[in-house]
Amino acid sequence: MYVSKFEASMATNFVIYLAFGALLCLATAKGEIVNTNVERTLDLTSQLVKTTTKISAEDSAGKPIVEYVFFTSEPSLAYIAVKDSGDKSVPFKRNDPVKGEQSFTFTFPKAATKQTFVVETVASKGIRPHPEEIRQNDKQFVRYTGNLHLYSKYRTTSQKTNVKLSSSNILSHTQVKPFSVSSNKITLGPYDNAEAFSQEALVIHYENSAPFVTVNTLERTLEISHWGNIAVQESIQMTHTGAKLKGSFSRYDFQKEGRSGLAALKSYKTYLPASASGVYYRDTNGNISTSNMNSVRDFIELELRPRFPLFGGWKTQYTLGYNVPSYEYMFNDGNKYQLKMHLIDHIYDNMAIDEATIKIILPEGSSDIRLSTPYSISRLPNELVHTYLDTIGRPVVSFSKSNLVESHISDFTLYYSFSKTSMLQEPLLVSGFIYIIFLFTIIFLRLDFSITSHAHKE
Amino acid sequence: MNRTPKMLNSKVAGYSSLITFAILLIAWLAGFSSRLFAVIRFESIIHEFDPWFNYRATAYMVQNGWYNFLNWFDERAWYPLGRIVGGTVYPGLMITSGGIHWLLHVLNIPVHIRDICVFLAPIFSGLTSISTYLLTKELWSAGAGLFAASFIAIVPGYISRSVAGSYDNEGIAIFALQFTYFLWVRSVKTGSVFWSAAAALSYFYMVSAWGGYVFIINLIPLHVFVLLIMGRYSPRLLTSYSTFYILGLLFSMQIPFVGFQPIRTSEHMAALGVFVLLMAVATLRHLQSVLSRNEFRKLFIVGGLLVGVGVFVAVVVLTMLGVVAPWSGRFYSLWDTGYAKIHIPIIASVSEHQPTTWFSFFFDLHILVCAFPVGVWYCIKQINDERVFVVLYAISAVYFAGVMVRLMLTLTPVVCMLAGVAFSGLLDVFLQEDSSKRMGTAVSSATEVDEAEDSIEKKTLYDKAGKLKHRTKHDAQQDTGISSNLKSIVILAVLMLLMMFAVHCTWVTSNAYSSPSIVLAFHNSQDGSRNILDDFREAYYWLSQNTADDARVMSWWDYGYQIAGMANRTTLVDNNTWNNSHIALVGKAMSSTEEKSYEIMTSLDVDYVLVIFGGVIGYSGDDINKFLWMVRIAEGEHPKDIKESDYFTDRGEFRVDAEGAPALLNCLMYKLSYYRFGELKLDYRGPSGYDRTRNAVIGNKDFDLTYLEEAYTTEHWLVRIYRVKKPHEFNRPSLKTKERTIPPANFISRKNSKRRKGYIRNRPVVVKGKRTLK
Repeated sequence: MYVSKFEASMATNFVIYLAFGALLCLATAKGEIVNTNVERTLDLTSQLVKTTTKISAEDSAGKPIVEYVFFTSEPSLAYIAVKDSGDKSVPFKRNDPVKGEQSFTFTFPKAATKQTFVVETVASKGIRPHPEEIRQNDKQFVRYTGNLHLYSKYRTTSQKTNVKLSSSNILSHTQVKPFSVSSNKITLGPYDNAEAFSQEALVIHYENSAPFVTVNTLERTLEISHWGNIAVQESIQMTHTGAKLKGSFSRYDFQKEGRSGLAALKSYKTYLPASASGVYYRDTNGNISTSNMNSVRDFIELELRPRFPLFGGWKTQYTLGYNVPSYEYMFNDGNKYQLKMHLIDHIYDNMAIDEATIKIILPEGSSDIRLSTPYSISRLPNELVHTYLDTIGRPVVSFSKSNLVESHISDFTLYYSFSKTSMLQEPLLVSGFIYIIFLFTIIFLRLDFSITSHAHKE
Repeated sequence: MNRTPKMLNSKVAGYSSLITFAILLIAWLAGFSSRLFAVIRFESIIHEFDPWFNYRATAYMVQNGWYNFLNWFDERAWYPLGRIVGGTVYPGLMITSGGIHWLLHVLNIPVHIRDICVFLAPIFSGLTSISTYLLTKELWSAGAGLFAASFIAIVPGYISRSVAGSYDNEGIAIFALQFTYFLWVRSVKTGSVFWSAAAALSYFYMVSAWGGYVFIINLIPLHVFVLLIMGRYSPRLLTSYSTFYILGLLFSMQIPFVGFQPIRTSEHMAALGVFVLLMAVATLRHLQSVLSRNEFRKLFIVGGLLVGVGVFVAVVVLTMLGVVAPWSGRFYSLWDTGYAKIHIPIIASVSEHQPTTWFSFFFDLHILVCAFPVGVWYCIKQINDERVFVVLYAISAVYFAGVMVRLMLTLTPVVCMLAGVAFSGLLDVFLQEDSSKRMGTAVSSATEVDEAEDSIEKKTLYDKAGKLKHRTKHDAQQDTGISSNLKSIVILAVLMLLMMFAVHCTWVTSNAYSSPSIVLAFHNSQDGSRNILDDFREAYYWLSQNTADDARVMSWWDYGYQIAGMANRTTLVDNNTWNNSHIALVGKAMSSTEEKSYEIMTSLDVDYVLVIFGGVIGYSGDDINKFLWMVRIAEGEHPKDIKESDYFTDRGEFRVDAEGAPALLNCLMYKLSYYRFGELKLDYRGPSGYDRTRNAVIGNKDFDLTYLEEAYTTEHWLVRIYRVKKPHEFNRPSLKTKERTIPPANFISRKNSKRRKGYIRNRPVVVKGKRTLK
């Protein structure tokens, strides 16, 4: 009985929401925004789907446009950025997904009847290997499935899509006229007058031998020392998510044949800050001896080779760590400190990270901790760690974020206060300890603790 | 020591204790740092084979606690049997490093357990040199002790087992051994229960650390026995031995792996016998003081005979009944060096169980091996209770070291001690000032020599030597015995010897004993760069990342511990070698043909097979070179299926080229090692399939694998891993059940009226009364 009552209340709630939503829709629909011209560029050269959409929108009633609702059909959208015609970023907010459809509301700083802006999105997992399993000497073919039209709430007068592929070897693609293909580029459109929310599938099946590597988990630990050092450690677990290796692996073929294992990950480059020193690259079995470090002018290029080439479906795990001087990232005003560092850092080009956890270990005795991040993260509860010579433990700020790409490399800011006198605690602790040892030794040697008294033997 | 005015005495005592402290500290530091070659050249990593098991066990203990460790049943080893680890290890090593780890973590020092394991042996080498100092001081003098301490800190014979990363029982056991002997000698000297109880405690630590404790429990009774024979019985001996034996017995039985062995096996019976004998002697001594001479004689003869016969019969009966186990095979092999080769090939297959060559005595001990007899002679000449001990120690250790390379380790400490005695004796003679002058200088100058010898730099050595020489010359002017020139020449010569010793030790340590053996380094002859071969870790890491967590890996037993430690996968056999027949089964699988071994592999649920193949880079320790041992061990258990002679050519050669024996060219090990190697050309000019290790073009080049497929091969082909196919995967195409039936479409029967059912063509027509034509 109770259950049905509960359901009934849910149902009424739903009806109210629906009515409210319909009202809202009407209110906005009155404006009658029309996409006059849409130019999309799909970059499918890597494992990521990078879309740049240039939209010119106009209000048919001639009213100034303040808000624009942008829908996306990408299931795993990682990153979105909007810029107006003056290359200034436009603020936006993420709406609650309705029936699994994500939408964003852009709010223009200047209301105008004509708005032109560029939306950049990056989505991971939009390209799937097809066939899913290949032999070692086979090429990797992938399939992209997307939308032929801009999936929009508004009517679109004219639109065109340019697709950039990694190779000219295109097995098939959706052929809706007009379209043209030239080597590794496909141009679709222009298509006229697409209705709002119109959907038509765009499927492209082509060769892509870029290694599809996904970082499953990234654990980034930043340990701050007020003695002038910040230790960075990243533990990374990665999988080759491209076409799986079928059958046996042959070292002979891999060594002798150029076309063998094209899609396998042999090595990749990681960029570190220019001031990084004491770099280590290791796993549970110790140092991975196959890496090279080059100093380029404003960064360090680290060429990492996993212990074994990563074929489709193979996994590996490693830890990369280095030190950077703290003066580049830490600013203070008296006892108030501010730490500005990359939230995540570059791992390899066109990277895709499923889940990242960032931990910032502050010095013992830090308080009033406040974190500001460039994008939303999920904050994890603070912890305490005890390392060298700690007594009360160091506060750890930790947070996580899923589905990250290269565009997410940007700075977070952490504010905290720390009194300089507590830096003296550890040296005092050590000297006090040694002092006590000496004191005990002196007392022990000077006094006679034996029960019986006996003559000193020579 | 000697009688001198009190003021001077205290001053000298102060200096000598400072010098003693300084030298022991320097010895510790020198010992520690000379063991770090591998860490500096490679990294902080566990070496070789057994250390990997110890490390894994320690990590398990640190993670799961002591009681879980004691109850640990390792299902990842000896599949499908498993191994009760808690009951089959000497846990001393794990407890030691686990304890250090615990202490450091209590103090909030987060050192990884691996680093503790890596640096444990070098740290204990310092403790070993201190306990050697103490023991030698008890036996001879403080000067000799300092010599001995410095020697043992850097002597290669001990370093071979205690470099950083060589995380093995011996690393801490030699310390325990020396310390037990020190406490024992102390207790014999003083007759104090305290010292003998301390000796028993130290013995307990030794039992928990290494199987070599049997050496202590036989040497100490031997010492007591010889003392009795020499008529050196004393109540002190009675006190110390009975306390030590009883406490030691009880303590040693606390170790699960040892259990009831101390009262049930023949190896431990000598200690019991000596205990009984000592009691009997003590009783007789007592009776002697109570009874008259005649009565005593009667009692002695009758009682002695009865007791003797009784004990003998008891031992024989108990052995026959199986209560007391006879000597184990490993023990026999100590008496008869040929025993293992015939009866236990698995022991003989290990290179460190081979008899020692003369070369390796000099290699491991250098000048000490020459000075050592001098020390023995000194001790025999001025014999007393404790010197009897060191002489016995020396003689037995020399014997054992001659039998097995591995037991070089037990010889090393005694050689250091006695060489210390020898050098100290030599310097006593040649550095003597006036007879009235203090001995302190002798000690201090001897220690300066030590110091110089410790700091390996030649410069300081010459400096010190120069200073010494100057002083001796100056002092020797009043000397009447030996001319000062002779003195300085002898001192210089001794210093040169010691310097050469130090240089030799460093050289040997750096070249012979500092390779982690899981990472290989070679120098490129063309540009002189140093290349690292990391194939082992590459393969093990591949296994750990890209196979199912419960995958079972078959390999020869040498790699069992490494697979378990680095790849964390189930192995069939490992370096524990407790089950010979299981190893023989793996050997049989390796030496049979592919079909036959597939049967064995499926019966053992093998998922992957791992072989080591050095043919591409010329690595000589690979599986083909070990192959004959596999055959031998397999033949021991399965003489019908495997015959060693099949793997040799008619002329009795073991070769892999075209003239090799067919059994060899078609066995699984051969195929797995050389799969697709026949296509590989290492040189542009050379033939394909040229094996660099055996310098031959392989005989069977073109073959395919039916039941296995290559799963991974490392960069230099050093480790090759194969996946065992499931039955539905090989030979026939895998068809779904739906597809297996042939559709009956378009079937036209070809039977017509002529081709009736059962019609036979050209049927002979039988006419009655006529013969059929053939």
